[in-house]
Amino acid sequence: MLRNGVGTALGVLLLCAAGCGTSGRESGAEAAASDFLAAVDRGDGAAACAALAPDAAEGLASSEDLPCAEAFAKADVPGGAVESVEVWGDRAQVRTGADVLFLAELDGGWKVAAAECEARGDRPHECEVGA
Amino acid sequence: MKRSLRDNGLSIVFGLLFLATLVGQAFAGRADHNDRQLVDGGRELSVLQYVASSDFAVDVAENWQSEYLQFFLYVFATVWLVQRGSPESKLVENAGPESDERQKVGRYATAESPAWARAGGWRTAVFARSLGLVMGVLFALSWLAQSVAGRSAYNAERLAQLQDPVSWAEYAGSAEFWNRTLQNWQSELLAMGSIVVLSVYLRQRGSPESKPVGDPHDVTQESG
Repeated sequence: MLRNGVGTALGVLLLCAAGCGTSGRESGAEAAASDFLAAVDRGDGAAACAALAPDAAEGLASSEDLPCAEAFAKADVPGGAVESVEVWGDRAQVRTGADVLFLAELDGGWKVAAAECEARGDRPHECEVGA
Repeated sequence: MKRSLRDNGLSIVFGLLFLATLVGQAFAGRADHNDRQLVDGGRELSVLQYVASSDFAVDVAENWQSEYLQFFLYVFATVWLVQRGSPESKLVENAGPESDERQKVGRYATAESPAWARAGGWRTAVFARSLGLVMGVLFALSWLAQSVAGRSAYNAERLAQLQDPVSWAEYAGSAEFWNRTLQNWQSELLAMGSIVVLSVYLRQRGSPESKPVGDPHDVTQESG
């Protein structure tokens, strides 16, 4: 009896673990992507870099051997508006009209882990920022 | 109280062992998950966050489904299939669902028989298969949970590697899903086959899973 009750509760938890509570997290990922895209549209490299995950910001800075905000100005990241958001675990994919962004949920909230990405079939996207 | 514990020792001990190992899995799984997050650049999870994650859910569900499949198959297969000399099997001549008289159903039910064994009709038909049916339903639900949670964990991994997420149908046909599934099925089927065959020749004194120690190898339906 004890095992049945615990089993039922765990079964509900198992099904819930995959689907519960994603809508709130989708809006968090969407807001982070929108902030990033808005910074791109107004040419605000500092704000765009603040929206990037630390690894992506460092990678961009080191690839140009410049501070991130200056390196971002040299990159050709397209702006635009969010068209769709998919959240899976602590990762999200955001599609805009001209780009695909990959986001990660870090301790400081959602950050853009990769941008300016090109699809290559089932192989990983090739991204200019954050690859 | 003491008598109740003794009378239910098997279910109580296995229930407690189940909970203890599940807690152990939560801690070990969380440590493993956080190690991988260091590589992928993701955030680390607390134990509670990990227990609510699809990573934990798929690891639990993939083992549950195979256990329930094992018992579902075993309950149904042992109706028809026998193994001479194994205490896990009934006598060779009793293969099949057996007579109403032998199964004490319908007009052969006794005053102590469960109500649905006496009732006849669909209720007796369902009750007569309820053990296997419930195992089958639990298997199906666990397997479904594995596919749902597994897709979620798989998609998170794919996004971390800058790949597009997959649909449920794509995941259900993926190598990842079938690798997780078949590696569990093969081990359960091996365990079932092992107990059937080894119990013909080996003994465990006092265990109902074994024949009495002195019984000959070809005696089938005895337990000691």
